[in-house]
Amino acid sequence: MNPFLIILIKTSVIYGGLIGAAALMTLAERKFSAWMQLRHGPNRVGPWGLLQPLADGIKFIFKEELCPDGANPWIFRLAPILSAVPAMLTVAVIPFAGNVTLFGVDFGNLSITDLDIGVLFLVAIGGLSVYGVILGGWASNSKYSLLGGLRASAQMISYELSLILIILCVVAMTGSLDLRAITEAQNTGNPLSWNVFSQPLAFLIFVIATFAETNRHPFDFAECEPELVAGFHTEYSSMKFALFFLGEYCAMIVMACLTATLFLGGYSVPFWEDAPWFIQLGTFFAKAGFFAFLFIWVRWTLPRFRFDQLMHLGWKVFLPLALANLLVTGAVISLA
Amino acid sequence: MVDLLFYVAALVAVLTAVGVVLARNPVISVVSLLTCFGSLAVIYLLAGFQFLAAIQILVYGGAIMVLFLFVVMLLNLGGLSPEDEDGDDPLFHDRRRSAGGLAVAVALGSASLIGILRGARHLAEPANGYALPDEGFDALPALAEAMFTRYSLPFEAASVLLLATTVGVMVLAKRQRAVTPAGEKRP
Amino acid sequence: MVIVKRKTLTLAERLYLPEILRGMSITFGKMFKPKITRQYPEEPLPTNEVTRGQPRLRALVDGNLACVSCGLCEAACPAYAITIDGQETDRFIEREPEKFEIDMLRCILCGFCEEACPKEAIFMSTELELAGFTRASFKYGIDKLKRSTEELAPRMEYIKRINQRW
Ligand code: SF4
Ligand code: SF4
Repeated sequence: MNPFLIILIKTSVIYGGLIGAAALMTLAERKFSAWMQLRHGPNRVGPWGLLQPLADGIKFIFKEELCPDGANPWIFRLAPILSAVPAMLTVAVIPFAGNVTLFGVDFGNLSITDLDIGVLFLVAIGGLSVYGVILGGWASNSKYSLLGGLRASAQMISYELSLILIILCVVAMTGSLDLRAITEAQNTGNPLSWNVFSQPLAFLIFVIATFAETNRHPFDFAECEPELVAGFHTEYSSMKFALFFLGEYCAMIVMACLTATLFLGGYSVPFWEDAPWFIQLGTFFAKAGFFAFLFIWVRWTLPRFRFDQLMHLGWKVFLPLALANLLVTGAVISLA
Repeated sequence: MVDLLFYVAALVAVLTAVGVVLARNPVISVVSLLTCFGSLAVIYLLAGFQFLAAIQILVYGGAIMVLFLFVVMLLNLGGLSPEDEDGDDPLFHDRRRSAGGLAVAVALGSASLIGILRGARHLAEPANGYALPDEGFDALPALAEAMFTRYSLPFEAASVLLLATTVGVMVLAKRQRAVTPAGEKRP
Repeated sequence: MVIVKRKTLTLAERLYLPEILRGMSITFGKMFKPKITRQYPEEPLPTNEVTRGQPRLRALVDGNLACVSCGLCEAACPAYAITIDGQETDRFIEREPEKFEIDMLRCILCGFCEEACPKEAIFMSTELELAGFTRASFKYGIDKLKRSTEELAPRMEYIKRINQRW
């Protein structure tokens, strides 16, 4: 088949899947939160409320677009795009499964591209989504938004540091920035070769840092309802707000996928080195799904930190730990 | 196709670079600078330097510009107030100290410039097996090796230059009002 | 002066993580507990004779209203929700309402009309749901207010019982 066509198919399938998953995740968020609070959650639209995201989307489209007085209109419009697009771009380098052959057509590896600087791409592009938050907060001409944006930027910079240091540990262990190579290095059929067992501390820090990086509970200071109304998106309505939402959930999904890839061996099936692609895909979904669930689970369990506690944790606990971890990793690798 | 992309990216880079200087609103300046860096990254990509492009976005786009934006928003620079322009130039407020600072800055700047120029001469001659790679990431080890061995002096010199610039900016941009000429904080 | 003694935390508590895991296990367990929310339209609220729903007019066994159009409820209504036009009738009670209208958007379900009525003609029913598309549709006339004696009987008994206390 035409290689261009194959790429087109893979891209549309993966992006369709991402957006579908983001929509599903908004539903899951509400469902799980409801169950944890002994409620039922949305169950009116479609069976088990499955069509709720669709209803939400339609409602968002029909809402009125507002642009506050004194806001900078161009940056105000740019911000939601800047928040959603990088988050969605990053999924391009996630390897979902090995070689896919369907209806006799060889589709190659199941990922949009196996960039040899995949991790770098992911971190670089993912880091851009902070602009959506800051600029959105600034352009809204509202004190709550501005404070939310400021906090978000400070927080994301602080935690990105530990996040990258941790990623470096994994990269150093594999010797490659390619996410597929990182996965393949763990795909030995033996779950003990997953990085989570050789890098438990790194795993812990990484998972916690992803919460801060995606502005999720218990670190959601960009929104922080009791203090900042809704933080950076206080002034946003309609589809612009929906874009912020989409960006947040896409970022969560990508982070879940990344955690699964870096530490749980991505699509590698335990005790089955060369499993067929659909089993690999299922395994990947199970792993990434667990982390996606973790985002929700933690959000509905823990209270919010205080901002100074967050900074303390980021700079005085995680950064030294991550550095030490990197140091030890480097030492062990060079000695071995 | 590649040519066209290059011209588009180059045009965007130049226009936004001009925009950085011309924009009255510091936040707009930052956004233009960000766009400028983005188009530079595109140019790197077109030239086959995936790694450089990613680093450009990661370091400049992701970290430094966020810091800029943060500072701009935090300081809330609405523009210079009249009292900043009435000849009370902070740079020359305390002549003795400014002269010292200037001397240090000039020394640092020229030292680093010399270092960079020397390095650039080396870069220009493709000898010694350190010819810069044209094949993106795969040649990264070569790039790293060249950077940390042969060209480590210009590399470090460039960072010293950046440091000197930072100090200079601090001196220039610091609000003088809070500090008396003797350097003591007003109550 | 109050001296608050801080509890000294154990190492596990200061490490934070064990406590987090404990909290998370609690929320996880709660996910499988029976839900306590009432699914409203399918599971309506339980009502009994004490429920003070919307006021309704009682019809006698012959189908005519018990109301004699005295206007006491109209006067008692604090929300000015009731409008009555009376007319003469050949029946024994001599007067009956020609028009009896309660504006359900004004009614505050206070039950004063029920207390004011000398003829046991108006009672608070167990009907609670109120929805419509126009304002006009909330002006309930006799056709919408009329209920048979059996339907309002529990409430009638209840009111009689509590009135006996005085
Ligand atoms: S219940 Fe109260 S408000 Fe409603 S009609 Fe009767 S007296 Fe008026
Ligand atoms: S008080 Fe009773 S009898 Fe009098 S008008 Fe009202 S409903 Fe009719």
